[in-house]
Amino acid sequence: MASFLSTVRRVYLTIYNWMVFVGWFQVLYLALRTLYETDYTHVYHAVEKPLQLAQTAAVLEILHGLVGLVRSPVTATLPQIGSRLYVTWGILWSFPETRTHVLVSSLVISWSITEIIRYSFFGLKEALGFAPSWLLWLRYSTFFIFYPTGITSEVGLIYIALPYIKASDKYCIRMPNKWNYAFDYFYAAIVALGIYFPGGLHMYLYMIGQRKKALSKSGKKD
Amino acid sequence: MNMKVLVVSRSGREIIKGGVELKETAIVSDLNRAIHHRMRKYYPSRQRLTLPLQPGSQGKPVVLDPRKKVREYFRGNEEKLTVVLKDLGAQVSYKTLFFWEYLGPLIIYPIFYYYPAIYEYIGYTGERIIHPAQTYAMYYWCFHYFKRIMETFFIHRFSHATSPLSNVFRNCAYYWSFGAYIAYFVNHPLYTPVSDLQMKVGFGFGLLCQVANFYCHILLRNLRGPSGEGGYQIPQGFLFNLVTCANYTTEIYQWLGFNIATQTVAGYVFLVVAASIMTNWALAKHRRLKKIFDGKEGKPKYPRRWMILPPFL
Repeated sequence: MASFLSTVRRVYLTIYNWMVFVGWFQVLYLALRTLYETDYTHVYHAVEKPLQLAQTAAVLEILHGLVGLVRSPVTATLPQIGSRLYVTWGILWSFPETRTHVLVSSLVISWSITEIIRYSFFGLKEALGFAPSWLLWLRYSTFFIFYPTGITSEVGLIYIALPYIKASDKYCIRMPNKWNYAFDYFYAAIVALGIYFPGGLHMYLYMIGQRKKALSKSGKKD
Repeated sequence: MNMKVLVVSRSGREIIKGGVELKETAIVSDLNRAIHHRMRKYYPSRQRLTLPLQPGSQGKPVVLDPRKKVREYFRGNEEKLTVVLKDLGAQVSYKTLFFWEYLGPLIIYPIFYYYPAIYEYIGYTGERIIHPAQTYAMYYWCFHYFKRIMETFFIHRFSHATSPLSNVFRNCAYYWSFGAYIAYFVNHPLYTPVSDLQMKVGFGFGLLCQVANFYCHILLRNLRGPSGEGGYQIPQGFLFNLVTCANYTTEIYQWLGFNIATQTVAGYVFLVVAASIMTNWALAKHRRLKKIFDGKEGKPKYPRRWMILPPFL
């Protein structure tokens, strides 16, 4: 019974990882093709649907961690997925004025390359039981470039959205109300910007630590 | 008769060259003092002394009890007595920690009540009406934290005198931030009070719970001697016959009373967070007491009780 369940788990995770891989591959392909054929102002429109689908599917990963299907700690995946969903839905989808900015291109390229490597890595591991060492190396090395570019793009897009957020009343709760609560999306965005600096640093250092562990382990295996 | 005790770090490195000399009859706190005498940095509350772990053995190392004789830990008459010293980092007394945690809310909350200029600065102009609920809330809140400070200095008896310094920053951030968060909304110019009856029920219930909480603290105090001796005891009397951590229970219900009376999302968020923290503590305490009072070797068996929130836990 146990090995049947573990096979089901493997099959499910294999399918999950490869499907999301395809989603991100589409994002990268469409982004590059649009940049080649037209210009950066059209990138968002081209990638919107696969981007939203692939990024939102990542919510399942929190579930996987919670129920123990995978080993990743929820504390590491939650801030990453949180910031991605915030930018995808809370900024780009909610404030269309941001969509034509060049940072959208750097954003989707950084995200998609990172995710293509990550999902193919996990997809192979679940399907075959191992992943080639060059893929392992890619997974734990490309972040040196794409974390900074991705985080800069995220922070930049939030910053650009600020005047539009302030002008609109979207997602704001005003007083007076029965529950004496207020929420200002503009100030929340400022707080979010503030969190990016220590948060981004923490994630970067975490990845450096993970890199040491992963690359030294594979070195020892041979 | 003297004996020599070597003091090493967890990695085996000698911390005090040549060790310290102690009388044969010395107790562990004499050892603490001797170490402090040799190295001023390591005042006794910063030291954690354990017996060296035998290589290959599992389990936690034995922590030395300050009241026991040093010799008691070394029955084999060994020549070299070795203890392992861990630096717990800078320590503050619990009284200091609690005082600063509680002082923040006590001062910050009334600032929002007495200085509506804060709200004008953010953009809420116009005349401001103060509802009775807001005034009572301020008195209730300030009484609560004043009570806590008084209990810290006159009621509570602490078993471990100190807490790491880093906890001061962490705990103050928690109390002070939530204090400001709640104070902002309850004292807001656009605050909507609940019905008069609901407000009275809320504050009345809350006050009752605060009195009960105070009595719980008195009962807990009497379990220990003046310098915190007594170790773990089975709490008895009043609500403790029903609930292990009746002090936390009354504290949680007291905040519930405050929130029923003031009705803010911020207040309820605080209630949930505080309740989960206290529930964690209560579960751990209940388990520890059950483990110690297992009914064997003449020890009483810990009675069946709720842990913290009847009828759920």
